[in-house]
Amino acid sequence: MTTELASTPAPDMSASPPRRPWDFDRLLPYLLVIPAALALALVSIYPIYEAIKASFTKYLYGRPVGSAGFSNYIDVAHDPVFWQSMGTTVEFVLLAVTAETVLGLALALLVINEFKGVKFVRLSILLPMTIAPVVVGVIWRLIYSSETGFVDPLFVALGLGAPRVLSHETSAFVGLVVVDIWEWTPLLFLIALAGLQSIPQEPLEAAAVDGAGPVRIFFQHTLPLLIPILAVGVILRLIDAIGTFDQIYVLTRGGPGTATQLISIYAYNTAFNFTDYGHGTAMLIALLVFVSLLILVAVALMRRAAARTS
Amino acid sequence: MNEIPEDPKTVSRRNVLRGVGYGAAFAATAPILAACSSGTSGGTTSTSPSPGDTANSPSGKITIGSFQDPAMKPFREVYVKKFTEQTGIQVDYQETAYDTWYQNSKSDGLQKTGAYDIYVMDDNWVPEYAAGGIIQSLDKLGLKVNPNILPKGLDQGYWPPRSGPKLAAFKDTPPELFALVIIDDVNMLYYNKNHFSTPPKTWDDIYTAMKSKATPPNLYGWAARGVKGNPSVMTYLPLLNSYGGNFANDDWTPGFAGPEGVGALERLLSFLPYMSPSTPEMDTDQETGLLLQGKAMALTEYTGTAVSAVDNPDSSKVVGMIDFATTPSQVKAGPAIGTFICGIASAAPNVPAAKAFLEWFTSDEIQTDFARNGGSAAVTSTALSDSEAVSKYRWLPAIAESVNNAVPKPRTPDEPKFEDILGTQINLAVVEALAQGGNYTQIATAHLKTAAEQMQAMLDQNKSVYFG
Repeated sequence: MTTELASTPAPDMSASPPRRPWDFDRLLPYLLVIPAALALALVSIYPIYEAIKASFTKYLYGRPVGSAGFSNYIDVAHDPVFWQSMGTTVEFVLLAVTAETVLGLALALLVINEFKGVKFVRLSILLPMTIAPVVVGVIWRLIYSSETGFVDPLFVALGLGAPRVLSHETSAFVGLVVVDIWEWTPLLFLIALAGLQSIPQEPLEAAAVDGAGPVRIFFQHTLPLLIPILAVGVILRLIDAIGTFDQIYVLTRGGPGTATQLISIYAYNTAFNFTDYGHGTAMLIALLVFVSLLILVAVALMRRAAARTS
Repeated sequence: MNEIPEDPKTVSRRNVLRGVGYGAAFAATAPILAACSSGTSGGTTSTSPSPGDTANSPSGKITIGSFQDPAMKPFREVYVKKFTEQTGIQVDYQETAYDTWYQNSKSDGLQKTGAYDIYVMDDNWVPEYAAGGIIQSLDKLGLKVNPNILPKGLDQGYWPPRSGPKLAAFKDTPPELFALVIIDDVNMLYYNKNHFSTPPKTWDDIYTAMKSKATPPNLYGWAARGVKGNPSVMTYLPLLNSYGGNFANDDWTPGFAGPEGVGALERLLSFLPYMSPSTPEMDTDQETGLLLQGKAMALTEYTGTAVSAVDNPDSSKVVGMIDFATTPSQVKAGPAIGTFICGIASAAPNVPAAKAFLEWFTSDEIQTDFARNGGSAAVTSTALSDSEAVSKYRWLPAIAESVNNAVPKPRTPDEPKFEDILGTQINLAVVEALAQGGNYTQIATAHLKTAAEQMQAMLDQNKSVYFG
């Protein structure tokens, strides 16, 4: 009996039963994703497909007149205004998102602790983000307006000359960055605050017990733990800032000259005002590739930071 | 169509996450791309209205689409209803933002969806809409044109244009009426009677007056739109035309970089010491704001401000003090014209009723009523000189005079691009002149030369379109 038992191979209890390709439990997660994927395909992928098609089409005054091959892309590559607008976009995005990240984090650190009225303060900080971008443009146009706004009188009262923000190339560009910072710092504040509230307290307490000061705790413990969360916010802002349009259209239309002409404004003008859809969409596809590369780099950096933290 | 792979390994979580990552990237540019792709379809699948339609007596319903503009208020609130009362034809009037309406109407016309019977357009859409078959020839539809419509206003609806440069493909095509003017919007001179006892006749008169009377920042000698693009061009064109320059010459070459154009811009720049230093950021609201607050002696602007604001105590501190004339002349007067104009859609479901509406609205009786009740920029000479209307609305004769002197912008679908080129350089010239406080001749010459080179490069790029 013993021999029999010993010679009979024991059933492998660890092996899972053989799976069938139509196993419902396995497919369920993917099935659940289908509605969202369909919605995404409808509102995002299909227009992109149409845009890619348009970028290979030659248009004459808004009407397709045949295949353009790669000529729209070649034209874009040789278009100095495109590169100038891309440069302006990169400058705008880097300045705005960096400032928003630093300010958002600073504000989150200021209101992380509970005190009387903290909820009101947090809500107030979030308000600009809730206003439609075109309305933000109108509000800031009134603020910057040299005739009716309060920026010029404020500078004059401080003994400085009236800056006439929107009348000069450099100040108009800086003025737009300020508007973006005002509107979107709240998003990074919100993400940073949520991140700070979810950080485990034990390592911070242990560091404090070991005699580390608040600055050292922040840079050596809090910030590394926060980086993966903050990076998500930064990536979202980068993507969004690249497409900034409404505020600029309302405030400067890309001027003075081309000082505030971001790629979104230039592509819009090319496609719609000048009815050159092929050239306009080729620009945007190039921008899409640029954004995708940016995201790949950002995700890689995020992973590295997360790995270092863990 | 690709088949879905059966290997379960291909549907991994990583793949799904990667897909979502790409989706996020797509989402960043999707709104702009989606907007771009909306205008890309050029299919002509549906049918045009049957020829028998035009033979039917007008009845039923029409749909009129328009962009939003305060000048359309009487049209929308009074005349659409009045037409229904008088004819029994129902009118569905739809308004949307300017850019959106431009895209919607173009898409409707190109794809012949037949959602609209009449498009209310900006006159610079006419070349594209007529050449592209988005609107129908009103001549071919047999529309009866009121002979009292001011000829310069009526001209805006012809394709190819009756005068000025023509695209190569249309060089020998006889002009046909494709759109009918409904509001004669045109540049006029607005001047404050406190500072001018008689209407200034020339730009030099204005300069002389501002030199002696302007006290900036309390009282500016001149106010102007200086934002890049269309606003800057609208400021410059009345000067350019009056100095004998052209936006585009009859052979399409830029006509603003010569001595006439430079002289005109130099004159504008010479006003700057007496103008608001914020001019490069000013658009219509700020510019007219200065005039209505009594802080500017004069300006040139379209008719809308007169009709809606100058005598409205809620918006003006100078009620009754602003008077009107055609824009000043140097060698001639040359206001820019920008009419509201109607075309019948390529697939209009109810052509007879659409035609009836246009004939009705531009008739002497309705146009006179239009001028008498609100002082709108009517399109007929009879309405603009009607004694009852003129006694109530003193700007009407100036509108007529300005339309009669008007110089149209180049009639080409590329006009917005030309405008962008010139408007960017005018804006930069103003910025530079303000910074330097002089050197106007060099600044004007340099920027107009740049604009002319850019415009010429564009013409060369589209040689076949312009020169055959």
